[in-house]
Amino acid sequence: MSELDKTTGTSGENLEEHQSEDGRRAFLERASKAAMAAGLVGGYGALGAVGLRYLYPARPDEMSWQYVSEVTRIPVGGALRYEGPSGETINIARQGESGGADDFVALSSTCPHLGCQVRWEGQNNRFFCPCHNGVFDPTGVATEGPPAEAGQRLAGPQGPGHDPCLAPPLESSDRRRV
Amino acid sequence: MANPVAAWIGDRLPVSGEGLKELTNEPVPYHLKRWWFALGGTPAYLFIVQIVTGILLAFYYEAAPATAYQSVDYITHEAAFGWYIRSLHKWGATLMIAAVILHQMRVFFTGAYRAPREINWMVGMCLLICTLMTGFTGYSLVFEQLSFWGATVGANIADSTPIVGGFLKRMMLGGDTYNQATLSRFYIIHAAILPVTIMLLVVVHITIIRLQGVTEFKFEDEREGEQKTFNFFPDHLYTELMIGLVLMVLLSALATIFPATMGPAADPLTTPDVIKPEWFFYVAFRWLKLFSGTTAILTMGFIVFVMFAWPFIDEQIRKRTRFQEASVWVGVLGVIAIIGLTVWEAIARH
Amino acid sequence: MKLETKRFIIAGLGGLFLLSLVLVQWMETARRAEEAGLREPHIAVPASSEQCVSCHTEQNPGIVTHWTGSTHAEKGVGCYDCHEAMERDPDGFQHEGYFIATVVTPRDCARCHDAEAEEFAQSHHAAGGNILASLDNFLAETVEGSRIDFSPHSPAPGRNFGLVNGLASANSGCKQCHGAKVALVATDGSVLTVDDFAPDENGFPTNMDAVALIAKDENGKPMMDSDSWPNTGIGRLNLDGSRGSCSACHSRHDFSPRRARQPENCGKCHLGPDHPQKEVYEESKHGIAYRDLKDELDLDAEEWILGETYAAAPTCATCHMSGNIRNGGRITHDPGERISWTNRPPVSLAMDTDINHSIVTETDPETRRSLIHDTWQQKRDRMKNVCTNCHTDSYVNSFYDQYDALVNLYNEKFAKPGQLIMAALADNGLRTSTQFDEEIEWTWFYLWHHEGRRARHGASMMAPDYTHWHGMYEVAERFYMELIPQAREMADHAGGGAGAAVHQVVNDILARPEHIWFEEGAEGAAELIRQQMQDRYGRTGN
Repeated sequence: MSELDKTTGTSGENLEEHQSEDGRRAFLERASKAAMAAGLVGGYGALGAVGLRYLYPARPDEMSWQYVSEVTRIPVGGALRYEGPSGETINIARQGESGGADDFVALSSTCPHLGCQVRWEGQNNRFFCPCHNGVFDPTGVATEGPPAEAGQRLAGPQGPGHDPCLAPPLESSDRRRV
Repeated sequence: MANPVAAWIGDRLPVSGEGLKELTNEPVPYHLKRWWFALGGTPAYLFIVQIVTGILLAFYYEAAPATAYQSVDYITHEAAFGWYIRSLHKWGATLMIAAVILHQMRVFFTGAYRAPREINWMVGMCLLICTLMTGFTGYSLVFEQLSFWGATVGANIADSTPIVGGFLKRMMLGGDTYNQATLSRFYIIHAAILPVTIMLLVVVHITIIRLQGVTEFKFEDEREGEQKTFNFFPDHLYTELMIGLVLMVLLSALATIFPATMGPAADPLTTPDVIKPEWFFYVAFRWLKLFSGTTAILTMGFIVFVMFAWPFIDEQIRKRTRFQEASVWVGVLGVIAIIGLTVWEAIARH
Repeated sequence: MKLETKRFIIAGLGGLFLLSLVLVQWMETARRAEEAGLREPHIAVPASSEQCVSCHTEQNPGIVTHWTGSTHAEKGVGCYDCHEAMERDPDGFQHEGYFIATVVTPRDCARCHDAEAEEFAQSHHAAGGNILASLDNFLAETVEGSRIDFSPHSPAPGRNFGLVNGLASANSGCKQCHGAKVALVATDGSVLTVDDFAPDENGFPTNMDAVALIAKDENGKPMMDSDSWPNTGIGRLNLDGSRGSCSACHSRHDFSPRRARQPENCGKCHLGPDHPQKEVYEESKHGIAYRDLKDELDLDAEEWILGETYAAAPTCATCHMSGNIRNGGRITHDPGERISWTNRPPVSLAMDTDINHSIVTETDPETRRSLIHDTWQQKRDRMKNVCTNCHTDSYVNSFYDQYDALVNLYNEKFAKPGQLIMAALADNGLRTSTQFDEEIEWTWFYLWHHEGRRARHGASMMAPDYTHWHGMYEVAERFYMELIPQAREMADHAGGGAGAAVHQVVNDILARPEHIWFEEGAEGAAELIRQQMQDRYGRTGN
């Protein structure tokens, strides 16, 4: 570009040419290095991303209805310990008479504090963790003990039942592999 | 970057950057500007690809007869990009073996194995054998019909070796026949023992090259007085990067156009009508069909021994006879025989 | 080569590699989309059935393989959930630490599928076991077999049979479709059925004397009477008082809805000379479309709704059981809900049913109206809901005109006269009350039970060849060439008042306008035909 402005002096022109040649070289070097880096990062980076995606669990956690038990086999105030298809443990507690989905609470039986198994205490209407005396109300919210201090709650999906055998409503998570 | 951080690291790691540069930046002979002389780096690069993809596959692979096929099926059909990783690994193996063979042929026909480089030739032979064994064991892990019967046949070939045959077979299979323990043996050999061995051998291989320098060649079209060497860094590194990327593109193309498939699951009760090993064993497989078990094993052993000892045999021929270029003719005959047997096996049904 | 050039080449190759990975990503996405839904669901064996599966995988891999592919497996319903027995169940037994029963009954299935079980229980299907006391069964048990076992009259070389089982034909024939009365062997050598156990409303036996009589093998397992088991007849009479066998259509152990949706499933029983529904369907445009377009029916769909899931062709289930968009997708397990004629009896009856789903036979219009709970028109409207997914109202109505007309023709020209003649023979003592001991009884049976049904079924499901050649043609031949001559011969043979009375009935029938051609010739009719041919083609027929 600068050549267009300079119209006088041969020596000056030569100097300019020399300088622009140097500049062009430096630019070329910088550009080629940047392009090379971009090419390498782009190619191998994409491969790395493919590898990471491969290692990340393939199936997103799918939900599906699972048969657990007949409603009549869980007494009111009683609970059933159920192991889901991929090993997750769940407490299903029955609180009402009607036999409908609203009677049941299905929550993970793994204490969010340190991973012990909580159990349902029908007489106290609560889940209890024997490890550090953690107490959870029927909706899974911690009310006493270390989990309460940390404001934790029991994990667990639940939804409405539509079939007498599929209540308690339980959806299993993680159906990753056979 | 001459900053406190660099100084801090320099104090704790007494390695001088300059010294390291000096050590690695060996002048590279000019003939390496010619592509076919860079074939030795190709298997090394592919080996790295194999290690990376192999580690990824190992995340999901389960080496037990009951679950092996299922887990490969899972990788192929369910894991995200599993089919691609598996195909890369499969084609990486094929290309690696091809590259090793081409590299060896180049070394052979240029006489680069001659004194004082006999030891490195033999290290290279060890690498070839390790590579082939890795291919064999890897193929067995898929646990499809051909994997199972390939392994069975392989073990029985080992069995026909005089004296030590039975021992070899039992060591291979972990029993008298293919059993529960066999697959995990193959897996450990494939994924731990052989890769580590190859890594150590590659270190030795490269160290020896470094100590002796790359064989220098002179070509007729080189002008006198021209520069004899160029810098490893960055010039030759760029060449290697280019080769690496070309290989990645090639692998990627092969993996997408010819992805690794799955044959029927292993069935110990039914031998398939046609069993063939991977292509790189076609030679040996045809050889075994041509001669009875023990004869074939012994002749193959003898050929491998001759290949190992070729630098010394060649030296004696050159010393004692007037056939200075005998190795070329032996090489040509060998290549023709190998190609011939491979093609024969490839087109023959049985 | 200059370093810059190399760097640019590296950049280019890197970009190319990136591009190839973009292609890989695209292939991965395409593959995911293609495999979505095709992938096999995750199966976890429920804890209570793990032990069953581990042994039976070795011993009966087919059972486990079938189950593994079932929706039950997917939803966590295992072996024990269905085979579990209660302590009071007469056929329960200890097996590897579990108390189970072999035969799974609709009562077991109803624990989850209660609505389906209830519909089924009201259906004619559930009453299939009533055959055990019917005319058809007299055929198998007496005419074909023997109600008492008898000794072989000469040795069977190589085999040593004690007695000939006179019920063999009924056991392997009738009962495999209609259903057996499931029986346990008693210690006194007799058998114990639902009649002996007298189960209460929960299916538990009330007669403990019968329970005490059950014979058990060395493992304490009650012994099933092989006359009654294996059996998946649709009206099976189970020990717990329930009727039917869900696996008649939903074959164990995958209980596949896919299979129940296909006509081949119904074809286990609905075929053959007396009720060739399967063949009739195959000949119809419906069956032709099904064979061609089967792949478009999405038979694996979870909800299989005509007009929504598929519309390429109907199967038996489509019309008689499955849901469609016009009925809100409601499936019924009572296939009679949409059937407006019963073509089962000698004379077809309109399907007006009472509160118990039995056909109302009352003739007085007032009483009839009071008894009817579900009219034939209501049933026909349900079927039209299916038809109109593919056909217009007027088309469907006209089809029903054709169908009604054929049924009416058969009833009036052959069935009712045939009944009159058979009644006249019986009333006048020319034939005994024992069936199948006179030739004319076989003739009459062929006429209505085989040929008459074929004609009516052919018309009901659009199979012209079954309506005509396999149907009405043979009905006519049977009527004019066998039934009438045989009745007359019997009347001649008997002579006297009885013979004259029968002659009178036959002659009255043949004097009717639709029969008059037979005795008085049809010259007038032949002339009419010639005249029409002349008008139409300008020449006479030969």
